[in-house]
Amino acid sequence: MSIQNFFLSLLLFVSFGLLGEFIYEFSDTTKEKRFYNLISEVRCPKCTSGSIASSDAPVSRDLKDRIYQLIREGKSDQEIKSYVSDRFGAFSDYSPPKEGVHALLWFAPSVFLWLLLLIFFMRRRF
Amino acid sequence: MFLWIVFLTLWSLLFVNFLKADHPLRKNTVLILGFIILGFMVFLLATSNPFERIFPFGALEGADINPVLQDPALVIHPPMLYLGYVGFVISFSFVTAYLVHGDFSIPWERDIRNWSLVAWIFLTAGITLGSWWAYYELGWGGYWFWDPVENVALMPWLAATAFMHSLFASSKSQILKTWTLFLGIMIFALSLFGAFIVRSGIIDSVHSFANDPQRGIYLLTFSGFMTMFSLAVLVYRMPSLNSSKPIVTGSKESFISMNNILMITSIFSIFLGVTYPLIVDALSGEKISIGPPYYNAIFSPIILIASIFIMLSVDALWQRGMRAINVLTAIAPPLLMSAAILYAIWAEFHIFSVITFVGILSGLLIMTSYLFQITTSFVLGKYINKGSAMSHIGLGLLFFSVSMNSMLSYDKNINLSLGQSQFIDSSITKFSFNSLDRNQASNHEVIAARVVIEQDNKILYLQPEKRKYLTRGQITSEAAIHASPIKDTYLTIGDQLEDGSWTFVLQVNYLIKWIWLSAILMATGIMMTIFKRQTS
Amino acid sequence: MNIARFFLILLPLVVIVFYGKVLFSVADDDLNQFESKPLPEFFLLNLEGNPVDVSNLAGIKLLNVWASWCITCLVEHPYLSELSSKGFDVIGLNYKDSSDKAQNWLNKYGNPYQFSIYDPRGDLAFDLGVTGAPETFLVVNSQVIEHIQGELTKKKWETIFLPRILAAQGDLK
Repeated sequence: MSIQNFFLSLLLFVSFGLLGEFIYEFSDTTKEKRFYNLISEVRCPKCTSGSIASSDAPVSRDLKDRIYQLIREGKSDQEIKSYVSDRFGAFSDYSPPKEGVHALLWFAPSVFLWLLLLIFFMRRRF
Repeated sequence: MFLWIVFLTLWSLLFVNFLKADHPLRKNTVLILGFIILGFMVFLLATSNPFERIFPFGALEGADINPVLQDPALVIHPPMLYLGYVGFVISFSFVTAYLVHGDFSIPWERDIRNWSLVAWIFLTAGITLGSWWAYYELGWGGYWFWDPVENVALMPWLAATAFMHSLFASSKSQILKTWTLFLGIMIFALSLFGAFIVRSGIIDSVHSFANDPQRGIYLLTFSGFMTMFSLAVLVYRMPSLNSSKPIVTGSKESFISMNNILMITSIFSIFLGVTYPLIVDALSGEKISIGPPYYNAIFSPIILIASIFIMLSVDALWQRGMRAINVLTAIAPPLLMSAAILYAIWAEFHIFSVITFVGILSGLLIMTSYLFQITTSFVLGKYINKGSAMSHIGLGLLFFSVSMNSMLSYDKNINLSLGQSQFIDSSITKFSFNSLDRNQASNHEVIAARVVIEQDNKILYLQPEKRKYLTRGQITSEAAIHASPIKDTYLTIGDQLEDGSWTFVLQVNYLIKWIWLSAILMATGIMMTIFKRQTS
Repeated sequence: MNIARFFLILLPLVVIVFYGKVLFSVADDDLNQFESKPLPEFFLLNLEGNPVDVSNLAGIKLLNVWASWCITCLVEHPYLSELSSKGFDVIGLNYKDSSDKAQNWLNKYGNPYQFSIYDPRGDLAFDLGVTGAPETFLVVNSQVIEHIQGELTKKKWETIFLPRILAAQGDLK
C-alpha cells in the first residue's frame, strides 16, 4: 500500500470517528416507520400514562432497544407486540385486544350508530 | 374548584340579569343555578377547603407548583376551560327551568343561543390551549394522545357542538326539540363526569389531580342527582314536546340530524374507550389499555361520513329536499377536486395508510365544498353564511392537517458527543452539537445544549434544555422548536451515556401551525355568527 | 315511544351506579391480576462470579429485584431480612448494578439472600417484566405466579404472597 493510500485510509478512519451515530439505524424507511409507529403504541410500563416513545424512563429505553432489535431480526408487528405483552402484560399495548369478548369493544360504536339510526327513522319527530 | 365557583357565580349573575324581570323562566333558572352553586360550595368546603390552616407552619418556600405547569399557557388553559364548562351550566339550568315550567311556547332557543356560542368558544380555546401547551412544554412532540382527561374534555365539546347545531335547526324549523333539550342536559352531565374522573383518581392519566375517593363520591352523587332530575323531567314532558313537522329527507335539517347522530356516536365511542378498561378490571382483574390505535380506527369512518354529510348540507335547503340533479352539481366539483388533490399528494409523497388518507379526504371534501360555495356566492351574488363557512373550513383544515401531520412527520434518535456533527437526511444536511452550558435560574438548574442545524439550506439555532427544579427535585426536558409555516423542527436532549456523549431526539412535525389555525378559524366563525345582525 | 324514554333514564342510572361501584373497589385495589408465566431462561452469573444453577430456583422462592442505587430497597431490607430469617428462601436479582457496589451494599447492610443473580444489563429483569427496583416475584416450581411492585410491606406480604405460598405448600405435601 502506498503512503498516500495509507494516509487516506487513516483520514477516512478518523473522520468516521468524528461522526455521531443514529441510535436506531435502519436499512430501509419502512422498517424505520414501523419502529416509530410501534413505540407510539406500546405503553410505558412505569409511567401513569404515555407511550415509550415519549418516555425517558430506563425501562422504556430498554423496550425501545429491544423492539429495534426485533425489527432488525425481521419480526412482524404482531410478534413484537406479543413479545412485549408476554413480559409486561396486555396493559402495555395501547391497541386493545380484539379476540373473544373484546371484539365487542370494536363493534360497539357501529352497533350504537345503527341503533340510533333505527330510532331516528322510525320516529322522525323529535 | 374555587375558580370554577367564581366563574359560575359571575356568569350566573350576568345571565340572570340578561333575562328581563318578567321573563317566565327567570325564577326557575335562579333557583336551579343557586342550587348548583350551593352544591359546589359545599363540595369545596367539605373536601378541598382552601381556607384551612396548616399548623404549625406551612412550607416556607411554598409547596412549589409542578414544573411542567410553570408556564404561561398553563395559566390560561384552565380558566378558558372553566368558562366553557360553566357557560354550559347556564344553558343546562335554563333548559331544566324550561322543562320544569312546562310552557312550551317560550322561545328558549333564542334566549340561550348567544350564551351557548360564547361558552363554546371558551371550551374550544381551552382544549386547544391544552393541546398547544402539551406540544411545546412536555417535550414529546405530540399534541393529542386520547388520554382519559383529554377525552373527558372532548366529550362535552362534541355534545356542545351537536347542541349548537340542533339549537339552530330547532329555532329555524321547529324540529329536533327533544333532541336539543337532551343535548343541553348531556353537556352538563359530561362536563361534571369529566370533573369526577379527573378529581377522583379512578383512572390513570397524566392529568390526575388527586387520588381521593371522598371527592369522587360527592361529585358523582351531586352530578348524578342533577342529571337524573333533569332527565326525569324531560322524559315526563316528552309527549308534549313532539315537534309538529317530520324531517324531510335531503333537507338541511336531515343532514344536521345525521351529523348529530354521528357526534353522539363519537361521544359514545369515547365514553366506551374510557370506561371499558374499568369494566374489564372490575369483572376479571385483567388490565388493558385503550389508546390512539382504537380511537383513530373508530373515528376514521365517522369523520369521512360526517364530511360527506357536510358536503351535502352546504347547498341543501331548509325543510325541502333537493332534486337529484342539484345534488350532483353540488357535490361533483368538490368531489373531483378533492380526488385530484389527494392523488397529487400520493404522487408527491408515496406514503399510504388508510386512516391518514381517509382523514385527508374528509378534510378536503369539506374545504372544497365551502370554497366552491364561496366562489359561487361571489360570482352569482347568492347568500352565504360567512360564519358557518369559516368554522366548517376550519374543521376541514383540522382533519386535513392532523392527517398530513401523521403521514409526513418523522423522528430521529441521535447520539453525539460535544463538538461532533452529523448528516441526517436530504433535508437536514448537518446537525452540530456545539456547546453545553450549565446554569442556575431562580428555581432550577439548567443544562443547555447549543445545536446548529442546516435544514433546507437554512441555518437554525436550537437550544434544548434539561432542568432540575430545586424544591421537588423534578427533572424536565424543554424542547427547542423552530416553527415554520410548513413544519416544526423539534429538538429535545435525552441522557448522557457512559462514553460522555448525549442523546437527542430530533422531530420534524408537519403542519402544526395549520392545526392551531384551524381552531382559530372555528372560533372566529362562531364569533362572526354571534355578531351577525339578526335577520328576521 | 316508550323504549326511548326508558333508555334515557336507565342508561345514565346504570353508568352512575357502575362508576360508584368502581370508585369503592379502586380504594382497596391491590388485587392486581397477575398472569402466571414460566421463569424465563437466563444465562447469568451470580454475584460471586459463578454460573447460576437453575435447580436452586426450584420449590418456593422469593425473587427480589434490588440494586445498590435503589433507595426503597433499603427501606424494605429489614422486612426482607426478617422473612429470610423466618425460613423463606429469598434469592436476589441484582439489577443494573456494578458487582463491586452490590457486594459493598450487602456487606454494609446485611445479606438476606441465599445468593444474588448478577443482571447488570437487566436481561432477566426485562423478560420478567420488571419496571424498576424494588420488585419481588413469587416463584413456585419455576413458575412465576405473583409479584409485588415497590416496597415489600407486611400488608402486601400478607394479602398477596402469603395466601399463594400457603396454597403451594399445601399442594407440595
